[in-house]
Amino acid sequence: VTRRPGTAIRSALALALLLLVALPALAGAVTVNEVAREVRCPTCNTPLDVSSAPVAQDMKQYIAERIDRGWDKERIIDGLVAEFGEGVLATPAKSGFDLIAWLVPGLLILIAVGGISALAWHWSRRRPASDGPPPPPPTADESQRLDDELRRLG
Amino acid sequence: VVGLVNRDVGTSIQDALDEGDRPEAPDLTLPVLLAADGIGPRGAEVSLQELRGRTVVLNFWASWCEPCEREAPVLDRVASRYRSADDVVVLGVDVQDLRGNALEFAEEFGIRYPSLRDGGDDAYRDYQLTGLPETFVIDPEGRIALRKIGEIREPEEITTAVEQL
Repeated sequence: VTRRPGTAIRSALALALLLLVALPALAGAVTVNEVAREVRCPTCNTPLDVSSAPVAQDMKQYIAERIDRGWDKERIIDGLVAEFGEGVLATPAKSGFDLIAWLVPGLLILIAVGGISALAWHWSRRRPASDGPPPPPPTADESQRLDDELRRLG
Repeated sequence: VVGLVNRDVGTSIQDALDEGDRPEAPDLTLPVLLAADGIGPRGAEVSLQELRGRTVVLNFWASWCEPCEREAPVLDRVASRYRSADDVVVLGVDVQDLRGNALEFAEEFGIRYPSLRDGGDDAYRDYQLTGLPETFVIDPEGRIALRKIGEIREPEEITTAVEQL
């Protein structure tokens, strides 16, 4: 079977197109939304990926242009921080003063768990409120009656 | 906690102006985006404190703000009117904006007055802005004499207040 040259060219073009589409994904290229969900819109304080504010559109364009230039996610986010400051991050930075935002919830959980454990231990050792002083030992007469009853029961 | 959350309660700029007072203008120290009229060079930090003794027309803007496009030529006329006088300065503050877009905006709309830039929220929050654009006329003692929320359509909206100082 002889293939026509046109068919071969079309196949090569199709393959090239397929590679062109697939290569960025194969290379792990980041998408606009992947970056956008890591930052917030400065005017509406919502995550950038769900914001349609005018400045959010500009920021998404900024991200798309940097992706086209081959920037990775961290570099693009650093660029946005340089433009808008640390406040643009959707989650606080894990350094400096912002570190408090990460540490405080963990500390509160530790304090709560410790407190609950201490209370449980305390309650488990506490005698019931109805407990009074220990009963006096049985008298000789009571002991005798008890022995008689036990003997009778066999 | 309530005090921290509502820290502006009792210190509202608008409340003070409504009562006929001139509240103190929050100080700003920001880098120069557009150098002009003796303010610069680009990147140098300028504070309002340095401009004490002059009347400052402080205009908050952004490149994505459509009313700012219409307002820029009006403000430029205000700036031109006072350019030869050393006692009045029109000063823009670009907020919540990408630097490159702001520079393109200035070129496209022919802004010839100086402008500072605040990428963060500090200036926006300190001046209790409700949106963009907003303009403040600050007297030579550093107190706010006029607040204009929204677009300036005529130079007289500003020049009348400036000349009353």
